[in-house]
Amino acid sequence: MTRGLRLDGVAKTYGDFELGPVDLAVDDEVLAVLGPSGCGKTTLLSLVAGIVRPDAGTVVLDGRPLDDRPPEERGIGLVFQDGALFPHLTARENVAYAATDRAQVAELASRLEITSLLDRRPPSLSGGERQRVALARALAVDPDALLLDEPLSSLDAPIRRRLRDELHDLFAALDIPILYVTHDQRTATVLGDRIAVFRDGAIEQVGTPAAVLNRPESEFVARFTGCENVFAGTVVPDGVRVDGVTLPAETARPVGTAVTACLRPSRVRLIDDAALTGTVRRRLNEGDEYRVVVDLGGVGLIAQVRPPTGRALAPGDAVGVSVSPTDVHLL
Amino acid sequence: MAHPTALRRFDWLTVAFALGGLLLCYYLVPLVSLFLSAPPAAVATSLTQPAVVNATTTSLLSAAVSTLVAGVFGLPLAYWLARAETPWTGAILAAVVLPLVLPPTVGGVVLLTVVGPNTLLGSSAAAAGLPLTRSFAGVVIAQTFVASPFVVVTAKAAFEGVDRTLEHASRSLGKGRVTTLRRVTLPLATPGILAGTTLAFARAMGEFGATMMLAYYPRTMPVQIWVSFISLGLDAAYPVAIVLVVVSVLALIVLNTAASNPWQ
Repeated sequence: MTRGLRLDGVAKTYGDFELGPVDLAVDDEVLAVLGPSGCGKTTLLSLVAGIVRPDAGTVVLDGRPLDDRPPEERGIGLVFQDGALFPHLTARENVAYAATDRAQVAELASRLEITSLLDRRPPSLSGGERQRVALARALAVDPDALLLDEPLSSLDAPIRRRLRDELHDLFAALDIPILYVTHDQRTATVLGDRIAVFRDGAIEQVGTPAAVLNRPESEFVARFTGCENVFAGTVVPDGVRVDGVTLPAETARPVGTAVTACLRPSRVRLIDDAALTGTVRRRLNEGDEYRVVVDLGGVGLIAQVRPPTGRALAPGDAVGVSVSPTDVHLL
Repeated sequence: MAHPTALRRFDWLTVAFALGGLLLCYYLVPLVSLFLSAPPAAVATSLTQPAVVNATTTSLLSAAVSTLVAGVFGLPLAYWLARAETPWTGAILAAVVLPLVLPPTVGGVVLLTVVGPNTLLGSSAAAAGLPLTRSFAGVVIAQTFVASPFVVVTAKAAFEGVDRTLEHASRSLGKGRVTTLRRVTLPLATPGILAGTTLAFARAMGEFGATMMLAYYPRTMPVQIWVSFISLGLDAAYPVAIVLVVVSVLALIVLNTAASNPWQ
């Protein structure tokens, strides 16, 4: 028996919107499906869960084709954005809805730390508490795969981070394929063993977080995963030429080739003695970090630096810019 | 110091209330007047008259049966309309609403063309011992026709108000469509369904036009009011009218308590 979740040429058309054909193989790992809203991520989950029937293609779970199976016979757990808890039932009744016995409810409650909430109804729970109950409920069927649709997106930042970190540990203990849909690159990077970047109903790139972030295969992936410095340029002997500025880069491509250079703001260092010099256009204080826009003779380069920076970085200040050739990724 | 414009400022809200208040009096004064016109002792006495007792029994029973029939067939139709993705929803809903806008006597006429004594259905049923006119069955047929749309329309809205994500969640938890309906959709739609059935019951209790066409006998309360009024005068119509007013007020109370969702 082949373990894991496999999508073969799964496609669905809704009016003007086309999803797929999507081919994906998810082993006992977390695949973060990352993409902007409206890119078809939720539709993808609905197709896998059996809520929506595909126009073409097959979904296979642990070697079983799921095509003719209704959602209740697929063994696939679902966690929705707002939890989708049954509002007329208590937290306990929600978890027990599909649980085998009381012991399982108690065990799941203790695992998700919701034991003290069990007698409350969903409207009286906070967003984070609701998601914990929703997770416990989804795990009560002992699913063969777990699908999560932006479960953290409506939570406040501190709770979101805490629950995200806990999900990381929870997922590690589950030996099943997990599809985690999100529009947030950080969440995808933290939780995903691999990331599938979605755009307009199709997969743009699949790879480990490091691969997707550092070696994006398209400008869209680069920009969506936080690579804000994307420039059109041409290959020159010692790097890539962008509007009269030469960024160092390593490439085997011949001189004169038109390329797109991608550089993550966090990889730009602002130091005194540097090959490149520029002028600070503006500095935004994000608290733990500064976002600094440096004007390199017409090219606006965004740098993300951690204070204390040793210099004021006030608009108009001259500043040296250091970029490692290995950090400049060429498309 | 008085502001010059303050003196000229006109309180339009009060004017609106005064105008609306007149309408409110128009609703309430006749009701109060009805209760004042009928001395309680006289009403109590007349309530024991066989004609009044029979009419009340017939009305309560037939309205209950009509509401039951409307529920048994109307709730599935409401659920189907709320969930099926078909372009026919609008046309079907128009057909459902038709009895609501059709004058009741016209409703009676169209029903008679199907269940009348000279029709195939009507004559066969009568031959089988279940006449569809001038019978309890006729009363139920007339009442169901005009009252059941309330169940369909109101329950459809109630089903649509249930987040489909909850149904998807239930399905993903291994429960089939029927279990999901029973344990998630129906409990959440109950306040709306109750409102629909209450409206249907109230409408069935008050049904007159179509009932007159199909079944003058056995007399329902509205028919009894009319008969009493025609043969004995207005005073004779009071007791049954008061009973109907009480039933209507009870229906309103159910509506106002059922319409509030206890889980919000």
